Amino acid sequence: MSSSFPASQHWSATLSAPRPRPRPNSPRPSLKCHISASRDSDSSNHALFKTLSKTLAFSSAAALLLNSSPFPLLLSNGSGNFGGCSGNGLGGGGSGGGGGGGWFGGDGNGGFFSRLFSPADAIADESPSQEWDSHGLPANIVVQLNKLSGFKKYKISEILFFDRRKWKTVGTEDSFFEMVSLRPGATYTKAQLQKELETLATCGMFEKVDMEGKTNPDGTIGVTISFTESTWQSADRFRCINVGLMQQSKPIEMDADMTDKEKLEYFRSQEEDYMRRIQRARVCLLPMPVHMEIMQMLKEQGKVSARLLQKIRDRVQKWYQDEGYACAQVVNFGNLNTKEVVCEVVEGDITQLVIQFQDKLGHVVEGNTDVAVVERELPKQLRPGYIFNIEAGKQALRNINSLALFSNIEVNPRPDEKNEGGIIVEIKLKELEQKTAEVSTEWSIVPGRGGRPTLASLQPGGTVTFEHRNLQGLNRSLIGSVTTSNFFNPQDDLAFKLEYVHPYLDGVYNPSNRTLRVSCFNSRKLSPVFTGGPGVDEVPPIWVDRAGVKANITENFTRQSKFTYGLVMEEITTRDESSHICANGQRVLPSGGISSDGPPTTLSGTGIDRMAFLQANITRDNTKFVNGAIVGDRNVFQVDQGLGIGSNFPFFNRHQLTVTRFIQLMSVEEGAGKAPPPVLVLHSHYGGCVGDLPSYDAFTLGGPYSVRGYNMGELGAARNILELAAELRIPIKGTHVYAFAEHGNDLGSSKNVKGNPTEVYRRMGHGSSYGVGLKLGLVRAEYAVDHNSGTGALFFRFGERF
Amino acid sequence: MGSQGIREWAGIDTFAPATQTKLLELLGKLKQENVNTLTILVIGKGGVGKSSIVNSIIGEKVVSISPFQSEGPRPVMVSRSRAGFTLNIIDTPGLIEGGYINVIALDIIKSFLLNKTIDVLLYVDRLDAYRVDNLDKLVSKAVTDSFGKGIWKKAIIALTHGQFSPPDELPYDEFSSIRSEGLLKVVKLGARIKKDVSQDFTIPVALVENSARCKKNENDEKVLPNGTAWIPQFVQTITEVALNGSESIRVDKKLIDGPNPNQRGKLWIPLIFLLQYIFIMKPIEAFIKRDIANESRPSWEIDE
Repeated sequence: MSSSFPASQHWSATLSAPRPRPRPNSPRPSLKCHISASRDSDSSNHALFKTLSKTLAFSSAAALLLNSSPFPLLLSNGSGNFGGCSGNGLGGGGSGGGGGGGWFGGDGNGGFFSRLFSPADAIADESPSQEWDSHGLPANIVVQLNKLSGFKKYKISEILFFDRRKWKTVGTEDSFFEMVSLRPGATYTKAQLQKELETLATCGMFEKVDMEGKTNPDGTIGVTISFTESTWQSADRFRCINVGLMQQSKPIEMDADMTDKEKLEYFRSQEEDYMRRIQRARVCLLPMPVHMEIMQMLKEQGKVSARLLQKIRDRVQKWYQDEGYACAQVVNFGNLNTKEVVCEVVEGDITQLVIQFQDKLGHVVEGNTDVAVVERELPKQLRPGYIFNIEAGKQALRNINSLALFSNIEVNPRPDEKNEGGIIVEIKLKELEQKTAEVSTEWSIVPGRGGRPTLASLQPGGTVTFEHRNLQGLNRSLIGSVTTSNFFNPQDDLAFKLEYVHPYLDGVYNPSNRTLRVSCFNSRKLSPVFTGGPGVDEVPPIWVDRAGVKANITENFTRQSKFTYGLVMEEITTRDESSHICANGQRVLPSGGISSDGPPTTLSGTGIDRMAFLQANITRDNTKFVNGAIVGDRNVFQVDQGLGIGSNFPFFNRHQLTVTRFIQLMSVEEGAGKAPPPVLVLHSHYGGCVGDLPSYDAFTLGGPYSVRGYNMGELGAARNILELAAELRIPIKGTHVYAFAEHGNDLGSSKNVKGNPTEVYRRMGHGSSYGVGLKLGLVRAEYAVDHNSGTGALFFRFGERF
Repeated sequence: MGSQGIREWAGIDTFAPATQTKLLELLGKLKQENVNTLTILVIGKGGVGKSSIVNSIIGEKVVSISPFQSEGPRPVMVSRSRAGFTLNIIDTPGLIEGGYINVIALDIIKSFLLNKTIDVLLYVDRLDAYRVDNLDKLVSKAVTDSFGKGIWKKAIIALTHGQFSPPDELPYDEFSSIRSEGLLKVVKLGARIKKDVSQDFTIPVALVENSARCKKNENDEKVLPNGTAWIPQFVQTITEVALNGSESIRVDKKLIDGPNPNQRGKLWIPLIFLLQYIFIMKPIEAFIKRDIANESRPSWEIDE
């Protein structure tokens, strides 16, 4: 004959999850209270209060969980908010003195099992400072519970647990202790104590339980609870089933007057019901190893005892918690007294996904953003039919945040009131302002006449940026910016950029992720081609101005790997120091004069080139962070294919291949605060060009991103280059030190650049360097030895070399 | 014959009679071979005595010598004719400045030489330098890059300051041969003449002493410490090189500009692009696909 816990439903409400510590100053609790009607009007206020405080506590716990996870997105805007599983809080309703709230409190049998494991906050802390009445009895006598006065408020001095089977008092560390909601020092009425006893008696954990008081001289009473633990037949099989979304079976009241035959009939029908229930239930996520572990526990134990069931429940719930199934709860153990223990779990099935937009005040509004834009960022594990997992929720939060469309994002799981055990995933979004404009200004003082700054030499400069994002709710955006260092005379160095971004080129429902970008741009850069070698004092600089239009399509394979292809049309103007267009580089003659017959700056020979070419770039990047150290592979191939359109019909194929490997030299345990592994970085970069090569497109050697220890372009400008580098990074105290060696070589191709700027400006065409460095936040401090001259120098650089 | 502007080679009369006889004999030999014009290009580092050599051969002070400073930045061609034979000597500024090839000077020399033919290249260095350095290599490399490898078949290495007495009691002949061998090696290295073909490039070495205080023999000829009269010897070497059968170097526009690197391989570009697509971009894409497949996913993401 089998029996299941009779009022198993209540197990559910209270077995729930580890009890989180409430954090008073948690940011934005994102959970809504969930209260159903309270049955008992007397206790409804309490229940309400209870429920409220409890849900808040839970939500803040969820926030705590979030805060402790090092996601940059949370730090970046502080608005990402992620609600924990509010299912946890549900029990509060049920446990609050018989309130009808909670999923499974339907039968009104309030408090049968419900307080089993959740008690403490149920009654005791309601009125800790309440006045209390003396027992008014002689000291040191034992009083039965029913002998106590119904009108007094007794203060409990201590609570003792007495195990009748072992014939000894158990300590507070015993797992049963947590079932009692009484707390020493608090006051209770006789009714409350009786209720407590009733709860304990009916919870199924005890065969027999008694409560008696012992009067103390100071008017307080000590309570002793003596119990006999329930045990069942030993079992050797274990089964875990998902009973979420299933109707909870209501036990039919057993009539005391039933005949034996009727009783037999009754039990049989119960058994059949239960078998059917098990069959209907779905398979659990609980993996085989945990199953085995629990079977082992059953085998070792012999008889199935209440304590063992507690252990099993803890083990099963721990697995779910560890895997991120935050809404999973063990709700019942059935089929006891047979060979098999059936553990019923509500795993937290998602029944609905709701995306909601809110205005600044938190009112639900119709958003501008197309819901599909958000939906495609959600992992499919958040869709209905899957089990809610907190990690999937975090992933959704990160993905949505990366859209940069919302100022506040909340992902909340909420119990589904219509489907028992179901979870509704609620995503609440606050949209950012669609149009923004920004002006930043700065004044700069430039040397006036005679080198001294005057009032007139104050120059107003700055940047004007405007952005219109999320056009048509499809995350399309138009961004423009204008920068100048002198608003009075902006034609001097006006830099502008206008970019239109069109994501979801193949439609927002299409899984392929292609983005079209069209931009107008201009830029001004100092050409590293016209730079002197070590022996040359000063080479008159050449500025390369580019202005043009670029249209490309980016296909994102992963977050880091992508393929970009498009068309670039640009006009390149080369200018000398005084902003005059120049067709040739200048050089300083031995006599000290300057001659402007250096290498040609442009292909056309006029100082202005126009050209159109195709540009393709494929980046493979599978690097990841291991405790903050970057590990993995990165390969980039870029090709600029001239089309023969433009000045002098430029036809060329300019290509570069970069291969970087970050090799982890030691396996380390991953986790926050753990030391990163030492890493060896191997890097090579090949660049080459066939066909027309104007000097501004020549590959330059030397500089912080080429060969360290040299200035930009100090080693040469060539048609083909090869750079090799190795760097060893050793972590120390939260940062790392590194040693590196690098080499850059023009492969003898400097002479294949028209005018041979490498030789004209007396550069070696190749060079090596080595050195050591220290990473200080974003800054690299490094001592690099230039192997050509054998001298070293200390450099401070921003950012990473690789 | 000969153009009107070319002056008579009067300087030849100032030489000692024995030298004169020898020179005229050599000129006759050249004429016999139907060589009426001889153009000599003098090249070398600064301050090695290029201009002095020109003056010594011509026999007059045609080129101003400016010790301690780099000579005028322009090359100078001195032409003299004698008995229907014209000798052109092109003196050039030093090719080295500040430890590097003076590219400007080289460019000027190249454009100066446009449409001229070089019959003999005179690579000048000093005898009394103890070691050869990288600069010699640079110069010979620059010469090779500018005029092609073939010019070394028409080259003579002239070592000035021939009167120098070697240190450590080293016999004069031995020292000069060690010096010339060392220099030859570096020059050949710079000219990228491979060892196996270096047999074909037998560059003769000539010793020169331009000083007015040069010792003279009984015939009033300027002699080197080993007793040879250097001018006739030198001119004879020149003659031999001029008549060694190798092609003279005609400097034209193409030679100066070199092959246009922008044109090289242009026809192959479409093919290169195709190969890049097939052999680089496609494999990288395959790598990315593999990365995606191998990505370690959290347990909750794995389909049940």
